[in-house]
Amino acid sequence: MSGRFAASNKVAIVGYAHSQVCRRADRPLGVLAVDTARAAIADAGLRFEQIDGFVSSALLPSAAGQVVEDGVSTVSSAWLAQHVGVKARYVAGFEGIGQITGCVSIAVNAVASGAADYVLLHRALHNPAGRYHANPMREARGLQQWTAPQGFFGPLAMIALPYNEYLQRFGAKRESMAAVAVEARKNGARIPWSFWHDRPLNADEYLSAPKLFDPVCRYDCDIPVDGVAAFVLSSADRAKDLPHPPVYIAGYAAGAPTRRRLPLHWPLDDILDGGAQMARRLWAHAGIAATDVDLPQVYDGFSLFVWLWLEVLGLCPPGEAHRFVEAAGIDSDRPGGLPALSGGGALGNGRMHGIPQMLECYLQLARRAGDRQRDRATIGLACHSSPHFGGAIVYSAEPF
Amino acid sequence: MSGRPVPVPDESSAPFWSAAAEHVLAVARCARCGQFTMPPDVVCPHCHTTDPRFEFTPVSGRGTVRSWTVVRQALLPGFDDDLPFVLVDVELAEQADLRLIGRLLDGVGADLHVGDAVAVGFEDLAPGVAIPAFELT
Repeated sequence: MSGRFAASNKVAIVGYAHSQVCRRADRPLGVLAVDTARAAIADAGLRFEQIDGFVSSALLPSAAGQVVEDGVSTVSSAWLAQHVGVKARYVAGFEGIGQITGCVSIAVNAVASGAADYVLLHRALHNPAGRYHANPMREARGLQQWTAPQGFFGPLAMIALPYNEYLQRFGAKRESMAAVAVEARKNGARIPWSFWHDRPLNADEYLSAPKLFDPVCRYDCDIPVDGVAAFVLSSADRAKDLPHPPVYIAGYAAGAPTRRRLPLHWPLDDILDGGAQMARRLWAHAGIAATDVDLPQVYDGFSLFVWLWLEVLGLCPPGEAHRFVEAAGIDSDRPGGLPALSGGGALGNGRMHGIPQMLECYLQLARRAGDRQRDRATIGLACHSSPHFGGAIVYSAEPF
Repeated sequence: MSGRPVPVPDESSAPFWSAAAEHVLAVARCARCGQFTMPPDVVCPHCHTTDPRFEFTPVSGRGTVRSWTVVRQALLPGFDDDLPFVLVDVELAEQADLRLIGRLLDGVGADLHVGDAVAVGFEDLAPGVAIPAFELT
């Protein structure tokens, strides 16, 4: 990949829908997905039969070896197309980490190439019964034999190591992370469909929570939920005839780890180096610089990612993110504050895997954010997962 | 038996676990480029040969702490009695960025810093099954 994306600003988001986010929905995930998909299609001013592409990433993120059943614990695009009752000519799914970047880029490429005219993109997240990451394994096979017998297992251990590595290297304190959790929950509390609607978090609550895997406490982690979001994408030309202002996709870049590691071993330098490389590709692809972004929605499935995204994107100097957030640098209500979690993120909405970042870009740039509408929202950036895996997407209110 | 997950050796790992049972840390080394790899792969991640013929070569077991965490909840069976415990991310002395993660047997009271020197130790889980861990030196 080199230079500007040939399809930059030629594909747009033209509509959306979002289900309520709850711990465990009282209806099957597939039913929520069908209802949400239909609502998104209607929001875009389209009829079901006009949708000819379905794209998603169906990953069930639990490490607990849950039984995966399409329509119940996951919802694939093939399942959704069949159950919405559409004969799609293009159905695809992204596998791997960085689900939103992966499936948005597939959808954009499909529209730009003419493989589909109107693509329904969705993400359905499920919270299985039982402890989310607990695993009863007695034998460790395959790659897990290198880590599970030692007790290194699960995403909390995964994030705790680079988190502590950051604290030690830069002389940071975990207390500085309170500003991240409080900001996410402040904004999430304002969002009607959020799991945390009307439930902000204060710094004392954050600081008094017991640590789970030092330095990680429960409020550093997004809460597992049931929830579905759906978007409709089409070409910039077709978008002109639809009811809502289009939000254009200017470019995207994904991460690609280059070093072989133990399972779930994400050393700090892998994340920072891989993220910096990804950011360089992203600016070239989208044809912008970091300073052009007025809505940088950083990923926050774990709070540490907020610090790391701010640094790899160049929004604050390396090693300074902890001071930056502590000094209200990401307070989206403060004049001059960076609106990095204005959509509430995953910490403020629930584990929707990058949907809050994408949705906030869409709502603000389409000027559909209601009471939360910001004056300045022209170039949005939605970040996903860890910088060295997930990548990011640049959105624009105007083609350029 | 501790109830902890035991490794199931396979083609890629059997010499590692048989060495561990003798309390020897042996790391996969590519026969072509001589670089160590943890864990081994079907292709050498360093020289990319598709015929790495990895040899499990005993190493010193010495290394330095790059990071650590204190585990306060067990997501796997058999660890409840050990809580809380420390996991250390160790760079082995033999090669830059050769990393291994294991329990720190000194316990949660240890005064840890990045760069601290450690040496491999072993936990005997069952007859013929020993798991590499680390101790401060």
